[in-house]
Amino acid sequence: MMRLTTTETVEKYKDTLFRIAFHICRCEADADDAVQECFCKYHTVRMEYESEEHLKAWLIRVTINFARNIATSFWRRNRESWEEYMAEMPFEEPGDSDVFEAVMTLPARYRLVIHLFYYEEYSVKEIAEILETPVNTVKSRLSRGRKLLKKKLKEEWQDEQ
Amino acid sequence: MNNKERYQRSFSGVRTSRDYGKGVYEMGDTQRKRARLPRLAAVCLALGLVFGAAGAVYAADVGGIQRQIEIWFRGELTDVTIEFNGQGEYRMEFQDAEGVTHSQGGGGVAYEAFGRERPLTEEELLETLNSPDVRYEDDGRVRVYYYDQVMDITELFEDGVCYVKLIHDGEELYMTVKYRDGYAASSRHYVDPGTFSTKKRPAE
Repeated sequence: MMRLTTTETVEKYKDTLFRIAFHICRCEADADDAVQECFCKYHTVRMEYESEEHLKAWLIRVTINFARNIATSFWRRNRESWEEYMAEMPFEEPGDSDVFEAVMTLPARYRLVIHLFYYEEYSVKEIAEILETPVNTVKSRLSRGRKLLKKKLKEEWQDEQ
Repeated sequence: MNNKERYQRSFSGVRTSRDYGKGVYEMGDTQRKRARLPRLAAVCLALGLVFGAAGAVYAADVGGIQRQIEIWFRGELTDVTIEFNGQGEYRMEFQDAEGVTHSQGGGGVAYEAFGRERPLTEEELLETLNSPDVRYEDDGRVRVYYYDQVMDITELFEDGVCYVKLIHDGEELYMTVKYRDGYAASSRHYVDPGTFSTKKRPAE
Protein backbone atom coordinates (compact mmCIF):
# COMPACT_ATOMS: atom_id res chain seq x y z
CA MET A 1 0.00 0.00 0.00
CA MET A 2 1.23 3.52 -0.72
CA ARG A 3 0.26 7.14 -0.49
CA LEU A 4 2.00 10.30 -1.68
CA THR A 5 1.72 13.62 0.14
CA THR A 6 -0.76 16.05 -1.37
CA THR A 7 2.08 18.31 -2.51
CA GLU A 8 3.85 15.45 -4.26
CA THR A 9 0.61 14.34 -5.89
CA VAL A 10 -0.21 17.85 -7.13
CA GLU A 11 3.24 18.32 -8.61
CA LYS A 12 3.28 14.93 -10.25
CA TYR A 13 -0.20 14.76 -11.73
CA LYS A 14 -1.50 18.30 -12.17
CA ASP A 15 -0.78 18.52 -15.91
CA THR A 16 -2.00 15.00 -16.65
CA LEU A 17 -5.29 15.67 -14.88
CA PHE A 18 -5.61 19.14 -16.39
CA ARG A 19 -5.29 17.72 -19.92
CA ILE A 20 -7.96 15.14 -19.19
CA ALA A 21 -10.33 17.71 -17.66
CA PHE A 22 -9.69 20.04 -20.59
CA HIS A 23 -10.80 17.33 -23.02
CA ILE A 24 -14.13 17.18 -21.19
CA CYS A 25 -14.73 20.87 -20.36
CA ARG A 26 -12.87 22.46 -23.29
CA CYS A 27 -12.32 25.45 -21.03
CA GLU A 28 -9.17 26.26 -19.03
CA ALA A 29 -10.86 27.64 -15.91
CA ASP A 30 -13.39 24.79 -15.72
CA ALA A 31 -10.63 22.22 -16.18
CA ASP A 32 -8.64 23.88 -13.40
CA ASP A 33 -11.71 23.79 -11.12
CA ALA A 34 -12.20 20.07 -11.78
CA VAL A 35 -8.56 19.29 -11.03
CA GLN A 36 -8.62 21.39 -7.89
CA GLU A 37 -11.72 19.54 -6.67
CA CYS A 38 -9.94 16.27 -7.32
CA PHE A 39 -6.88 17.27 -5.29
CA CYS A 40 -9.18 18.49 -2.49
CA LYS A 41 -10.79 15.09 -2.44
CA TYR A 42 -7.39 13.40 -2.38
CA HIS A 43 -6.34 15.65 0.50
CA THR A 44 -9.46 14.92 2.57
CA VAL A 45 -10.07 11.25 1.75
CA ARG A 46 -7.32 9.36 3.55
CA MET A 47 -7.27 6.39 1.29
CA GLU A 48 -4.39 3.95 0.72
CA TYR A 49 -3.50 2.89 -2.82
CA GLU A 50 -2.20 -0.45 -4.01
CA SER A 51 0.33 1.12 -6.37
CA GLU A 52 1.12 4.34 -8.14
CA GLU A 53 -0.87 3.13 -11.15
CA HIS A 54 -3.85 2.62 -8.85
CA LEU A 55 -3.42 6.15 -7.48
CA LYS A 56 -3.19 7.62 -10.98
CA ALA A 57 -6.30 5.75 -12.15
CA TRP A 58 -8.20 6.96 -9.05
CA LEU A 59 -7.15 10.58 -9.67
CA ILE A 60 -8.18 10.34 -13.32
CA ARG A 61 -11.58 8.84 -12.46
CA VAL A 62 -12.30 11.50 -9.85
CA THR A 63 -11.20 14.30 -12.17
CA ILE A 64 -13.42 12.94 -14.94
CA ASN A 65 -16.43 12.91 -12.60
CA PHE A 66 -15.82 16.47 -11.42
CA ALA A 67 -15.17 17.68 -14.98
CA ARG A 68 -18.38 16.07 -16.24
CA ASN A 69 -20.35 17.66 -13.41
CA ILE A 70 -18.93 21.06 -14.30
CA ALA A 71 -19.43 20.55 -18.04
CA THR A 72 -23.10 19.70 -17.54
CA SER A 73 -23.84 22.36 -14.95
CA PHE A 74 -26.26 25.16 -15.67
CA TRP A 75 -24.17 27.33 -13.38
CA ARG A 76 -21.07 26.88 -15.49
CA ARG A 77 -19.49 30.28 -15.02
CA ASN A 78 -16.56 30.12 -17.35
CA ARG A 79 -17.34 30.65 -20.96
CA GLU A 80 -14.00 31.18 -22.66
CA SER A 81 -13.67 28.84 -25.59
CA TRP A 82 -11.09 26.26 -26.49
CA GLU A 83 -10.36 28.36 -29.59
CA GLU A 84 -9.16 31.19 -27.33
CA TYR A 85 -7.01 28.76 -25.38
CA MET A 86 -5.63 27.31 -28.61
CA ALA A 87 -4.68 30.76 -29.87
CA GLU A 88 -2.32 31.14 -26.89
CA MET A 89 -0.85 27.65 -27.08
CA PRO A 90 2.79 27.16 -28.00
CA PHE A 91 2.61 24.50 -30.73
CA GLU A 92 5.94 22.93 -31.72
CA GLU A 93 4.96 22.50 -35.37
CA PRO A 94 2.29 24.45 -37.31
CA GLY A 95 0.33 21.28 -38.16
CA ASP A 96 -0.05 20.38 -34.48
CA SER A 97 -2.80 22.95 -34.10
CA ASP A 98 -4.78 21.01 -36.74
CA VAL A 99 -4.64 17.90 -34.55
CA PHE A 100 -5.66 19.94 -31.50
CA GLU A 101 -8.58 21.49 -33.37
CA ALA A 102 -9.69 18.18 -34.85
CA VAL A 103 -9.79 16.56 -31.41
CA MET A 104 -11.59 19.48 -29.78
CA THR A 105 -14.32 19.33 -32.42
CA LEU A 106 -14.93 15.62 -31.90
CA PRO A 107 -18.16 14.73 -30.07
CA ALA A 108 -17.64 14.54 -26.30
CA ARG A 109 -18.01 10.76 -26.21
CA TYR A 110 -14.89 10.26 -28.34
CA ARG A 111 -12.54 12.97 -27.05
CA LEU A 112 -11.74 11.37 -23.74
CA VAL A 113 -11.20 7.85 -25.06
CA ILE A 114 -8.95 9.21 -27.81
CA HIS A 115 -6.90 11.18 -25.29
CA LEU A 116 -6.48 8.31 -22.81
CA PHE A 117 -5.36 6.06 -25.66
CA TYR A 118 -3.03 8.37 -27.56
CA TYR A 119 -1.63 10.59 -24.84
CA GLU A 120 -1.76 8.51 -21.67
CA GLU A 121 -1.10 5.31 -23.64
CA TYR A 122 -3.69 3.29 -21.79
CA SER A 123 -4.92 0.07 -23.40
CA VAL A 124 -8.58 -0.37 -24.34
CA LYS A 125 -9.05 -2.63 -21.30
CA GLU A 126 -7.50 -0.07 -18.95
CA ILE A 127 -9.64 2.72 -20.41
CA ALA A 128 -12.72 0.57 -19.90
CA GLU A 129 -11.78 0.10 -16.24
CA ILE A 130 -11.10 3.80 -15.67
CA LEU A 131 -14.34 4.86 -17.33
CA GLU A 132 -16.27 1.92 -15.89
CA THR A 133 -17.53 1.25 -19.41
CA PRO A 134 -17.71 -2.05 -21.33
CA VAL A 135 -14.60 -2.86 -23.39
CA ASN A 136 -16.63 -3.08 -26.60
CA THR A 137 -18.00 0.42 -26.04
CA VAL A 138 -14.47 1.77 -25.65
CA LYS A 139 -13.35 -0.09 -28.79
CA SER A 140 -16.23 1.32 -30.76
CA ARG A 141 -15.63 4.88 -29.53
CA LEU A 142 -11.94 4.62 -30.31
CA SER A 143 -12.65 3.29 -33.78
CA ARG A 144 -15.25 5.96 -34.58
CA GLY A 145 -13.09 8.70 -33.08
CA ARG A 146 -10.17 7.61 -35.27
CA LYS A 147 -12.35 7.59 -38.36
CA LEU A 148 -13.54 11.11 -37.61
CA LEU A 149 -9.96 12.27 -37.03
CA LYS A 150 -8.91 10.71 -40.33
CA LYS A 151 -11.81 12.46 -42.06
CA LYS A 152 -10.82 15.82 -40.58
CA LEU A 153 -7.04 15.50 -40.84
CA LYS A 154 -6.82 13.46 -44.05
CA GLU A 155 -3.15 12.70 -44.86
CA GLU A 156 -2.02 14.29 -41.61
CA TRP A 157 -3.44 11.28 -39.74
CA GLN A 158 -2.23 7.77 -40.55
CA ASP A 159 -4.60 4.88 -41.23
CA GLU A 160 -4.87 2.47 -38.31
CA GLN A 161 -6.63 -0.81 -37.66
CA MET B 1 6.17 10.09 -36.73
CA ASN B 2 3.18 7.92 -35.85
CA ASN B 3 -0.25 9.11 -34.69
CA LYS B 4 0.57 8.61 -31.02
CA GLU B 5 3.71 10.73 -31.20
CA ARG B 6 1.91 13.35 -33.25
CA TYR B 7 -0.95 13.48 -30.76
CA GLN B 8 1.41 13.76 -27.79
CA ARG B 9 3.37 16.58 -29.39
CA SER B 10 0.14 18.44 -30.22
CA PHE B 11 -1.13 18.29 -26.64
CA SER B 12 2.13 18.58 -24.73
CA GLY B 13 1.56 22.33 -24.46
CA VAL B 14 -1.74 21.85 -22.59
CA ARG B 15 -0.59 22.61 -19.07
CA THR B 16 -2.19 24.22 -16.10
CA SER B 17 -1.00 27.60 -14.90
CA ARG B 18 -2.92 27.47 -11.64
CA ASP B 19 -1.20 26.97 -8.28
CA TYR B 20 -3.45 24.31 -6.78
CA GLY B 21 -1.59 23.93 -3.51
CA LYS B 22 -3.11 26.77 -1.50
CA GLY B 23 -6.63 26.24 -2.76
CA VAL B 24 -6.46 22.52 -2.12
CA TYR B 25 -5.47 22.93 1.53
CA GLU B 26 -8.05 25.65 2.15
CA MET B 27 -10.89 23.86 0.42
CA GLY B 28 -9.92 20.47 1.69
CA ASP B 29 -9.55 21.49 5.29
CA THR B 30 -12.81 23.38 5.49
CA GLN B 31 -14.68 20.70 3.54
CA ARG B 32 -16.37 23.40 1.57
CA LYS B 33 -18.89 22.07 -0.81
CA ARG B 34 -20.26 23.44 -4.03
CA ALA B 35 -23.72 24.91 -3.63
CA ARG B 36 -26.30 22.85 -5.39
CA LEU B 37 -29.72 23.55 -6.67
CA PRO B 38 -32.34 22.00 -4.40
CA ARG B 39 -33.77 19.04 -6.23
CA LEU B 40 -37.45 19.34 -6.93
CA ALA B 41 -39.44 17.36 -4.45
CA ALA B 42 -41.37 15.88 -7.28
CA VAL B 43 -41.06 16.66 -10.91
CA CYS B 44 -43.56 15.10 -13.20
CA LEU B 45 -42.27 15.12 -16.70
CA ALA B 46 -44.39 15.01 -19.74
CA LEU B 47 -41.58 14.55 -22.19
CA GLY B 48 -42.79 14.95 -25.71
CA LEU B 49 -39.85 13.26 -27.36
CA VAL B 50 -39.87 13.76 -31.06
CA PHE B 51 -36.93 12.41 -32.95
CA GLY B 52 -36.54 13.89 -36.35
CA ALA B 53 -35.48 12.00 -39.40
CA ALA B 54 -31.83 11.95 -40.33
CA GLY B 55 -30.62 15.43 -41.01
CA ALA B 56 -33.73 17.06 -39.61
CA VAL B 57 -33.04 20.47 -38.20
CA TYR B 58 -35.56 22.42 -36.22
CA ALA B 59 -36.22 25.75 -37.76
CA ALA B 60 -38.79 27.22 -35.43
CA ASP B 61 -37.44 30.45 -34.02
CA VAL B 62 -39.25 30.86 -30.77
CA GLY B 63 -37.15 33.80 -29.71
CA GLY B 64 -35.78 31.97 -26.71
CA ILE B 65 -32.31 31.70 -25.25
CA GLN B 66 -29.96 29.35 -27.03
CA ARG B 67 -27.16 27.58 -25.17
CA GLN B 68 -24.38 25.15 -26.03
CA ILE B 69 -24.09 22.55 -23.29
CA GLU B 70 -23.22 18.93 -22.66
CA ILE B 71 -25.83 16.57 -21.29
CA TRP B 72 -26.10 12.87 -20.58
CA PHE B 73 -28.19 11.42 -23.36
CA ARG B 74 -28.93 7.70 -23.29
CA GLY B 75 -25.82 6.99 -21.31
CA GLU B 76 -23.54 9.17 -23.44
CA LEU B 77 -22.11 12.60 -22.71
CA THR B 78 -23.37 14.58 -25.69
CA ASP B 79 -22.87 18.13 -26.99
CA VAL B 80 -26.21 19.83 -27.65
CA THR B 81 -27.57 23.18 -28.72
CA ILE B 82 -30.66 23.90 -26.66
CA GLU B 83 -33.30 26.62 -26.87
CA PHE B 84 -36.02 27.49 -24.37
CA ASN B 85 -39.34 29.16 -25.14
CA GLY B 86 -39.90 30.60 -21.68
CA GLN B 87 -43.02 28.48 -21.18
CA GLY B 88 -41.45 25.41 -19.66
CA GLU B 89 -40.46 23.87 -22.96
CA TYR B 90 -37.22 23.35 -24.82
CA ARG B 91 -35.96 22.16 -28.14
CA MET B 92 -32.49 20.85 -28.67
CA GLU B 93 -30.31 19.63 -31.46
CA PHE B 94 -27.40 17.24 -31.40
CA GLN B 95 -25.41 14.76 -33.45
CA ASP B 96 -25.44 11.06 -32.73
CA ALA B 97 -22.48 8.72 -32.95
CA GLU B 98 -22.86 8.48 -36.71
CA GLY B 99 -22.81 12.23 -37.10
CA VAL B 100 -26.55 12.35 -37.90
CA THR B 101 -28.31 15.46 -36.61
CA HIS B 102 -31.39 14.95 -34.46
CA SER B 103 -33.79 17.40 -32.90
CA GLN B 104 -35.78 16.77 -29.77
CA GLY B 105 -38.26 18.76 -27.75
CA GLY B 106 -39.85 18.44 -24.38
CA GLY B 107 -41.07 20.23 -21.34
CA GLY B 108 -42.46 19.73 -17.91
CA VAL B 109 -44.28 21.10 -14.94
CA ALA B 110 -43.56 21.27 -11.24
CA TYR B 111 -46.12 20.94 -8.50
CA GLU B 112 -45.76 23.50 -5.78
CA ALA B 113 -47.44 23.74 -2.39
CA PHE B 114 -51.20 23.14 -2.45
CA GLY B 115 -50.85 21.35 -5.77
CA ARG B 116 -50.37 24.45 -7.85
CA GLU B 117 -48.86 23.57 -11.22
CA ARG B 118 -46.31 25.74 -13.01
CA PRO B 119 -43.99 25.37 -16.01
CA LEU B 120 -40.40 24.42 -15.23
CA THR B 121 -37.85 27.21 -15.38
CA GLU B 122 -34.81 26.95 -17.68
CA GLU B 123 -32.62 25.90 -14.76
CA GLU B 124 -35.08 23.19 -13.81
CA LEU B 125 -35.41 22.00 -17.40
CA LEU B 126 -31.65 21.61 -17.61
CA GLU B 127 -31.68 19.73 -14.32
CA THR B 128 -34.32 17.42 -15.76
CA LEU B 129 -32.17 16.72 -18.84
CA ASN B 130 -29.68 15.09 -16.51
CA SER B 131 -32.53 13.49 -14.60
CA PRO B 132 -33.52 9.92 -15.36
CA ASP B 133 -35.19 9.36 -18.71
CA VAL B 134 -37.63 6.54 -19.39
CA ARG B 135 -37.62 5.15 -22.92
CA TYR B 136 -40.13 2.77 -24.45
CA GLU B 137 -37.90 1.08 -27.02
CA ASP B 138 -38.93 -0.39 -30.37
CA ASP B 139 -38.08 -3.88 -29.11
CA GLY B 140 -40.74 -3.54 -26.39
CA ARG B 141 -38.28 -3.06 -23.56
CA VAL B 142 -38.58 -0.18 -21.11
CA ARG B 143 -35.29 1.32 -20.05
CA VAL B 144 -34.25 4.02 -17.61
CA TYR B 145 -31.22 6.14 -18.57
CA TYR B 146 -29.51 8.02 -15.78
CA TYR B 147 -26.14 9.69 -16.37
CA ASP B 148 -23.98 6.85 -17.73
CA GLN B 149 -26.27 4.12 -16.38
CA VAL B 150 -28.86 2.09 -18.27
CA MET B 151 -31.45 -0.07 -16.47
CA ASP B 152 -34.00 -2.40 -18.04
CA ILE B 153 -37.20 -2.10 -15.97
CA THR B 154 -39.54 -3.99 -18.30
CA GLU B 155 -40.16 -6.82 -15.86
CA LEU B 156 -40.47 -4.62 -12.80
CA PHE B 157 -43.95 -3.19 -13.44
CA GLU B 158 -46.78 -4.29 -11.17
CA ASP B 159 -50.25 -2.98 -11.99
CA GLY B 160 -48.62 -0.52 -14.38
CA VAL B 161 -46.33 1.00 -11.76
CA CYS B 162 -42.62 0.45 -11.16
CA TYR B 163 -40.41 1.76 -8.34
CA VAL B 164 -36.70 2.27 -9.01
CA LYS B 165 -33.95 3.48 -6.71
CA LEU B 166 -31.10 5.19 -8.56
CA ILE B 167 -27.73 6.25 -7.19
CA HIS B 168 -25.34 8.73 -8.76
CA ASP B 169 -22.32 10.30 -7.09
CA GLY B 170 -23.49 8.90 -3.74
CA GLU B 171 -26.88 10.57 -4.00
CA GLU B 172 -30.04 8.51 -4.06
CA LEU B 173 -33.05 9.19 -6.21
CA TYR B 174 -36.39 7.43 -5.80
CA MET B 175 -38.33 7.05 -9.00
CA THR B 176 -41.94 6.09 -9.58
CA VAL B 177 -42.68 5.10 -13.20
CA LYS B 178 -46.23 4.67 -14.51
CA TYR B 179 -46.32 2.61 -17.70
CA ARG B 180 -46.62 5.06 -20.58
CA ASP B 181 -47.96 7.64 -18.16
CA GLY B 182 -44.94 9.65 -17.02
CA TYR B 183 -42.75 9.35 -13.98
CA ALA B 184 -41.87 11.25 -10.84
CA ALA B 185 -38.59 11.37 -8.99
CA SER B 186 -37.70 12.53 -5.53
CA SER B 187 -34.52 12.56 -3.49
CA ARG B 188 -36.51 11.67 -0.34
CA HIS B 189 -39.22 9.14 -1.10
CA TYR B 190 -41.19 7.36 -3.80
CA VAL B 191 -43.87 9.70 -5.11
CA ASP B 192 -47.43 8.35 -4.86
CA PRO B 193 -48.38 7.26 -8.42
CA GLY B 194 -51.90 8.57 -7.84
CA THR B 195 -50.59 12.13 -7.67
CA PHE B 196 -49.33 12.47 -11.24
CA SER B 197 -50.29 11.59 -14.77
CA THR B 198 -49.41 12.75 -18.25
CA LYS B 199 -52.82 11.72 -19.57
CA LYS B 200 -55.56 14.28 -19.92
CA ARG B 201 -57.99 14.24 -17.06
CA PRO B 202 -61.69 13.88 -17.94
CA ALA B 203 -63.64 17.13 -17.74
CA GLU B 204 -65.30 17.59 -14.37
